[in-house]
Amino acid sequence: MNNRERILNILHYKDVDRFPAVHFGYWEELLQEWAEQGKIPKDLAVGNYDGSQKERELDYLIGWDCNWYKTVGFNYNLDPPFERKLLEVLPDGCRRILNEDGIIERVKPGTVSIPSEDDYLLKDREAFETLFKPKMQYSPNRINFDFFRNFSKTRPNDVTVGIHAGSVIGNVRNMTSVIGMSYLMYDEDEELFGDIIDTYADMQYKCLEAVLNTCEEFDFAHYWEDICFKNGPLISPKNFEKYCAKHYQKRNDLLHRHGIDIISLDCDGVTEQLLPVWFETGVNVMFPIEVGVWGDQFEPARKKYGKGMLGVGGMDKTALRKDKAAVDKEIERMKRLASLGGFIPCPDHRLMPGTKFELVQYYAEEIKKIKL
Amino acid sequence: MSIISEISENLQKGRLKTVKELVNSAIDEGIDPSKILNDGLLSGMNIIGEKFKNNQVYVPEVLVAARAMNAGIELLKPLLNKEKIKSKGRVCIGTVQGDLHDIGKNLVKMMMESKGLEVIDLGTDVSPEAFVNTAIEKSCHVICCSALLTTTMDVMSEVVKCAEKAGIRDKVKIMVGGAPITREFCERIGADCYTSDAASAADAAVELCAVQ
Repeated sequence: MNNRERILNILHYKDVDRFPAVHFGYWEELLQEWAEQGKIPKDLAVGNYDGSQKERELDYLIGWDCNWYKTVGFNYNLDPPFERKLLEVLPDGCRRILNEDGIIERVKPGTVSIPSEDDYLLKDREAFETLFKPKMQYSPNRINFDFFRNFSKTRPNDVTVGIHAGSVIGNVRNMTSVIGMSYLMYDEDEELFGDIIDTYADMQYKCLEAVLNTCEEFDFAHYWEDICFKNGPLISPKNFEKYCAKHYQKRNDLLHRHGIDIISLDCDGVTEQLLPVWFETGVNVMFPIEVGVWGDQFEPARKKYGKGMLGVGGMDKTALRKDKAAVDKEIERMKRLASLGGFIPCPDHRLMPGTKFELVQYYAEEIKKIKL
Repeated sequence: MSIISEISENLQKGRLKTVKELVNSAIDEGIDPSKILNDGLLSGMNIIGEKFKNNQVYVPEVLVAARAMNAGIELLKPLLNKEKIKSKGRVCIGTVQGDLHDIGKNLVKMMMESKGLEVIDLGTDVSPEAFVNTAIEKSCHVICCSALLTTTMDVMSEVVKCAEKAGIRDKVKIMVGGAPITREFCERIGADCYTSDAASAADAAVELCAVQ
């Protein structure tokens, strides 16, 4: 039994010989740390991304079976993106940069941090019509048709590969910032906010449809959103349903028509309050279920939605920075969740700096010993 | 509905323009500025804070309400200064060194201000020394540290150590919060208070200031 069969069997409640050791990639700084410690070759520390050949080599070295986030897809970003441009160097050394999504971000050289958002261009109807809408249109150039025509011959057959179904709100949030999204939605122009979501979603639907009409060789579909945080969603569930539900429904119906019945969605934070929309429209895999940093949980969702709710993730990755006892505790918890069926243990986000190489190896080996 | 209630209602809906118009009208009508502030703006923001704590409203609603509150306060400021309103305590707040994120920190700041606290905002990427020096120079009752990242949260323990070294640990309370922070972490580093959301942080800060 290969890992593709193992993963698909688990998510369809069928028997497996053992559990696969699945992960969700790394912070680049961690790979550099491991290279400096002599744990991995230096060339594996750079250019290593989800599903890449280098990652496969690293998987082998560590003992992982595969990364869940191995997807292929279309370009769902602004096209062309805004030209990344340095706008200003502040007295404290911080740089204000216009990024590809039209956000003015603040970064500090030498600091390992996600950039913070200072300002944004998508503030009104005029900015949308002139700067953004032209970049949100469908074009065949968004899709590598040759790649998909040959995909059945080129895809790896021993691991799952998903079709990336894009994003309904996460990328719009990336263009407006959390603050801008809030102002538009509640005070300034809710109709415009709806138009942005609709325009952006329609383009992605057309892309997805074109890909699926070319190729159906996908094991699952996958969305990216990241629209929740520690205390829940960054949008009210009511507005989420109002603006987003119809687009998930339309896209998921399309996926179902093409035989895809596993639809995963990557959302950090505590997702509980958005699950009804996702689940009711066809998204059925919670991922990565951030237990450690944010306190998200899989079991309550399974209790509420039943066996139709699947999960990949849920392992507190911070244990891999601690010690064997902490990892053992997580493995025991993973065994319990695995016994529910339809659940694949996986660290609950990318492994971060400070993660101990030997503990990761240990975890991967132990997970493979799980049997149902 | 009185104009004060209208201010509160519209603030809760995040209606920036309407709140500004109503505050200006209330000033023109000769209503006591402290009444406009306390019964209109701060009262509305406190309702939003409570609803946020109870998951009845979400981050966007708090952000738009806070923006409306700030706009109203700006209009009142020249009038309020004359009245010398006494604050309930003084807090210095910032995002810790290495971390540039400020949405959470700004929410806490706005909630604290709506509770009548004086808040000194140190911004982002704030060193432990800057927190402690400000607390000494401005006689702060509370230092409030925010972090979004697991890679920066450990700076908070440096803030605690720095306060100890400066000999002010018994004079100032240290609050910690942010995405990766837990009560267990707060206790482990020897900070005084952790809350899980911005509105609770404001309530806790008022209590900490009251006992100092």
